[in-house]
Amino acid sequence: MNDLVYLTIANLIIWVGIFLYLLYINKKFKRIEKGK
Amino acid sequence: MIYFAFFWVAFSIVLSFLYAPPAEGFKGESYRIVFYHVPVAWVSVLAFFLSAYNSFMYLKKKDYLYDIKSKSLISLGLLFSILATISGAIFAKIEWGAYWNWDPRQISITLLLFIYSAYLILRSSIENPRRRANLSSVYALFSFFLVPFLVFVIPRVYFSLHPDLIISSKGKIQMFGPILHTFLANLISFTLIFLLIYKIDWKIDYEIYKKEMSDE
Repeated sequence: MNDLVYLTIANLIIWVGIFLYLLYINKKFKRIEKGK
Repeated sequence: MIYFAFFWVAFSIVLSFLYAPPAEGFKGESYRIVFYHVPVAWVSVLAFFLSAYNSFMYLKKKDYLYDIKSKSLISLGLLFSILATISGAIFAKIEWGAYWNWDPRQISITLLLFIYSAYLILRSSIENPRRRANLSSVYALFSFFLVPFLVFVIPRVYFSLHPDLIISSKGKIQMFGPILHTFLANLISFTLIFLLIYKIDWKIDYEIYKKEMSDE
């Protein structure tokens, strides 16, 4: 595979990983909102 | 701070792809992974260090806030270690030909992942809040003693495929010019991302904790 493809995949994985963690935080936040 | 971080992250992404020239000794443009891989690994070590500090503070002051902060930091540290491992494996595939090479750094980061995953398992297995906070703080504090050995000592004692990217054995910085600027910009950018997520995360965890306490 082309090095640019690998570069894109590696970057995407990092940003998607951070985004998923933010989604997880959002889920926790919604749980508190529901409880109130 | 959010706006500044947003601007800075966008700015450093542009730098990584447009400002930094191609580096010598790497296949094609693959070296640009370093701009993300190294800062992510740095942030995970920073998170583990801060978690040890917060655990120590919990044991000293017995304030649950420190324990909650420590838990948030370890979760974030784990996230960034996983990201560093995956991005490193992809970089290894391009440069060294295989995703996994049994390199000392690859092994040490995997050990860190196991050690800190055990922290989260330990936490989730104890119901009593005080007991949970006490035990997990002691565990986090002791785990951190391993971090300097695993991250800094072992990769330098055994033969490693990883270069000493930032400081060579002569103690001189090997990166220079636009590449160094871009690298530092990304280092700041990931530190900002980490600090912002950490701030949101511990505040939410603290709210959950207060709610649990008021329910009991």
